[in-house]
Amino acid sequence: MANAIDRRPGRLGRFLRSLLLPVAAILIALAIGAVAMWAFGDDPLVAYRGLWSGAFGDARALARTVRKMVPLIFTGLSVAVAFKAGLFNIGAAGQFLMGTVAATAVGISFPGMPAPLHVSLALLAGVVGGLVWGLIPGLLKVYTGAHEVIVTIMLNYVAALLAGWTVYAGGTEGQSPGPLWDPTARAVSESPDILESARLPLFFDPAYRLHAGVLLALAVVVFIWWLIYRTTIGFEIRTVGLNLKAARYAGMRVAWTVVFTMGIAGILAGLAGAIETLGVNWKFAPEFGGQVGFDGITVALLGQTHPFGIVLAAFLFGALDAGAARMQFESGVAQDIIQVIQALVLAFVAAPTLIRLLFRMEAEEFEVTTISQTWGGGSG
Amino acid sequence: MRPHRVWKATAIVGWVLALALVALAILVNTTALGERTWLRVLFGVSALNFTLRAAIPLILGAMSGILCERSGIINIGIEGMMLAGAFAAFVAKTNTNDWPLTTSLLFSTLVAVGIGGIMGLLHATFSIRFRMDQIISGTVIIILAAGISAYLFDRDAVAEGKFAPIAIPLLSQIPVIGPVLFAKPLLTYLALILVALLHVGLFYTRWGLRTRAVGEHPRAADTVGIPVNRYRYMNTTLGGMVAGLAGGYLVLEAVGQFQEGMTAGRGFISLAAMIFGNWNPFGAMGASVLFGYTQALQNELLLAGVKTVPRHFISMLPYLVTIVVVSGFVGRVRPPAAEGKVYETEGGE
Amino acid sequence: MSRKRLFFLMALLTLLALVLAACPAPAAPTAPAQEQEAAAPAEEAAEPLAEFKVGLVTDVGRINDRSFNQSAWEGVLLGAEQLGLPEDNVKYIETVDSKDYADNIQQFIDAGYDVIVTVGFALGDATVEAAKANPGVYFIGVDQFQAEALPNVAGLIFHEDQAGFLAGVLAAHLSETDIIAAVLGTDLVPPVVAFKEGYENGARYIKPDITTISTYHPGGLDVAFTDPEWGAATARQALDQGADVIFGAGGITGNGALQEVAAAAQAGQRVYCIGVDTDQWYTLPAAQPCLVSSAMKLITPAVADLIGMAFQGEFPGGNYYGEVGLAPFHDFEDDVPQEVKDQLQEIKQGLLEGTIDTGYNP
Repeated sequence: MANAIDRRPGRLGRFLRSLLLPVAAILIALAIGAVAMWAFGDDPLVAYRGLWSGAFGDARALARTVRKMVPLIFTGLSVAVAFKAGLFNIGAAGQFLMGTVAATAVGISFPGMPAPLHVSLALLAGVVGGLVWGLIPGLLKVYTGAHEVIVTIMLNYVAALLAGWTVYAGGTEGQSPGPLWDPTARAVSESPDILESARLPLFFDPAYRLHAGVLLALAVVVFIWWLIYRTTIGFEIRTVGLNLKAARYAGMRVAWTVVFTMGIAGILAGLAGAIETLGVNWKFAPEFGGQVGFDGITVALLGQTHPFGIVLAAFLFGALDAGAARMQFESGVAQDIIQVIQALVLAFVAAPTLIRLLFRMEAEEFEVTTISQTWGGGSG
Repeated sequence: MRPHRVWKATAIVGWVLALALVALAILVNTTALGERTWLRVLFGVSALNFTLRAAIPLILGAMSGILCERSGIINIGIEGMMLAGAFAAFVAKTNTNDWPLTTSLLFSTLVAVGIGGIMGLLHATFSIRFRMDQIISGTVIIILAAGISAYLFDRDAVAEGKFAPIAIPLLSQIPVIGPVLFAKPLLTYLALILVALLHVGLFYTRWGLRTRAVGEHPRAADTVGIPVNRYRYMNTTLGGMVAGLAGGYLVLEAVGQFQEGMTAGRGFISLAAMIFGNWNPFGAMGASVLFGYTQALQNELLLAGVKTVPRHFISMLPYLVTIVVVSGFVGRVRPPAAEGKVYETEGGE
Repeated sequence: MSRKRLFFLMALLTLLALVLAACPAPAAPTAPAQEQEAAAPAEEAAEPLAEFKVGLVTDVGRINDRSFNQSAWEGVLLGAEQLGLPEDNVKYIETVDSKDYADNIQQFIDAGYDVIVTVGFALGDATVEAAKANPGVYFIGVDQFQAEALPNVAGLIFHEDQAGFLAGVLAAHLSETDIIAAVLGTDLVPPVVAFKEGYENGARYIKPDITTISTYHPGGLDVAFTDPEWGAATARQALDQGADVIFGAGGITGNGALQEVAAAAQAGQRVYCIGVDTDQWYTLPAAQPCLVSSAMKLITPAVADLIGMAFQGEFPGGNYYGEVGLAPFHDFEDDVPQEVKDQLQEIKQGLLEGTIDTGYNP
């Protein structure tokens, strides 16, 4: 922001130009997807029409898109914040799960607590759950040099098993059931429904499950933007990410920054889990892990690791997820094509040279996202 | 060089431990000791067989990672290359079911290796030619392989037959070691041979020396006339081929069918094995075997009906062991210095 | 299938498309495939049969998974064929994320479907919720036990423990090592537990001292039924420990186990395997070298029957029990002595009449 005397176009112009690449990438990806469908005897037009109506066709569809967008915003931010410090957080999935479990635990307890307090407490629990799971890789990296990629991958598996155990029905093996298991669910491994007082308020038709987490998500986006670009700690995070040596030379607290960043990343993913539980699922079952952690990586990259970019990327992915079922219903096309399209979008966004060659644009218009410079070795 | 000495020491300790375990395993499986449940769980032939079988795809994945990363290209996309190889093997096998079994299997293996190579080439092209961030490129490859293989997977197709064990004469007669190591299907042998080959190649040939130079100090390598990017293209493609072979192993030897997402995180675990093994072939193999062993142990405990501990905690073992190992006794590993960086031939950024 | 042949080529082409896109050829911007209004299919004339529509929502998994989703879908197709429904009146949606059950069911409700089949026990809550909100729509919930009967929900359930019991009796008779094994999906799902308990108790009914080594997949619901590698490795482990009859019950995971046993049988070992759900002789030909029988729960005919009943307005709300039993022995007819066949028949009768208890009480 320092070089305002630059002869580059104004703020709005720059914003529009920064949209050029993702939009081009999306269009090309959709086109390739269409060719693939056509080659297999599917009708791409019917498929895309179904995709559109499933994502935006009516109020329910739109609500679905927004609802799917919320966790992606959080996990996308979680991955992006880590990227800013040169850390690769593959662990959003695990942090998400720990947030889910913690929020469930609070959500099913404390009958009679007033709603605002109960919701806040449950959200806080989610924050703590994610925080713990984010701090472990941060601390291990700083104190032992263990690489966060490995630790977070392993913690994902551990979190999935731990979360599964909390609602484990015990089977017929005579094992004791998990602490959050719902005894009225008989042999089923799931928690009881969370209490009414712990549920997030719903907007519009309650059947849409469009919850107040949307507002929270947008607020958090602004907060993270402020944290990264407007505060000292944000500056430290970015400096550590861009140039570790320079950060050390400047006397920055590198170790502390790494731990802090992983903590924030964990909190964001944990919050996603809490909001999904309190707003959408209202209970926890082991299969509620989903793709959301891994999708966070893609969303973060597609959003060029910028908070506002992430909102747009999450919106796109939310829409693709929301419309997929309708697409299959209308056209019979397997939903996996969505994954292919998502990968292509990512590929084209990540390789601007590719798009540039296609459209003969000038080189300076795009920044190349760089995150892989601190692979391996301890930074602490 | 101190780190080097530490690694020498670790390697010696590792070999001694391994030999002790083998001796113990022979005793358990041939004497009355085998009647004790816990000893059987720890060292029974079934545990050892399971270990090797679980370790093979990890070993191949780790070798793939070493090939790429020693030349300075981060390969987080092993998972995707493996999956692509597995899918290619399946498609090839289902289309050649009417060929003689061995021919069909060998052909499918080649196809798996070839498609893996193409994925590797794609990764290299992304990261070198298009200067895409290597971790992003790897991620793209993972998602692309998962999406395409699921979209194209014809679930009505059936692969008929898989690699059968080949008993090596004499060696397979050795008690315990024989059945565990020398009566295995083809790809298992191939994987183990590959480890040795890669070790020799990396440390005792011109190719290996140049590869390491490119990965550690591309500028210097360039100065003495080594074509940096050509080496990176070549090694990443080779790495892709080895990852494809891992996929081929899953379909053609371990299971006999394809299943979407069947690599189930093995690519990531082999990444861990590679780092755990400090980018050395034998080290990575040791790590893979350790991971395989923890999985075997978990299954043995389940089979033995250990009920006092919920199975979830038993299943956590492999992952917890990895975390402890990576943060405790490996401490600081050292990756090739020039990893992840684009190399510009015409002098700098 | 011409599609099959295209596979390999296409996988390559798609990849190459990416690489080639790199060439700085004067590529005209590809026409973006936007949502254009395609001509909507003309509605058929209003006639009850032509307007009767049946939809199916899978559990997380595929329509052609060679397992329960596929069986249910075949039931829908069979039911449609029996009624003579137009082809376009039956559709399915594959669930990708378990959070979408309700959304996917809603798609069919919004489109005015008359019968909605939801496959798998995990969709139970979403099904009941949708049924309460839409009393005019019939729901068939496969593997969904109904605690309270709703007039428009039929929970299609099975006595899996009885099928398992018969498989256990067969296994005990066939075993020479007196060690038998089961490689199972997950104990997170009651039907799998029922199969396993029935199997073990059936084996003990014949040989009280028989050793049974059974193991559930240690992972979550997302992988437990789709991990053939684990199934194969675990079956090998059981073989190594002396088991000579292996029951594979757990979708594709179980199939992996059956194929591993088949490989051992082909290598000359005297081992048998028992399949699950359908007659796997047909659904998994690769298992034929060892497949002596399958513990069946017949989803397909039951779904077809229920659809027919819904059309005639004689829909049975509440729990509806489908048929279970052992599949034919096929090539292994001679391996099973006549007295064992007779005994199996007797036990099946006893189970039906309640004079024999499988020992499984959820």
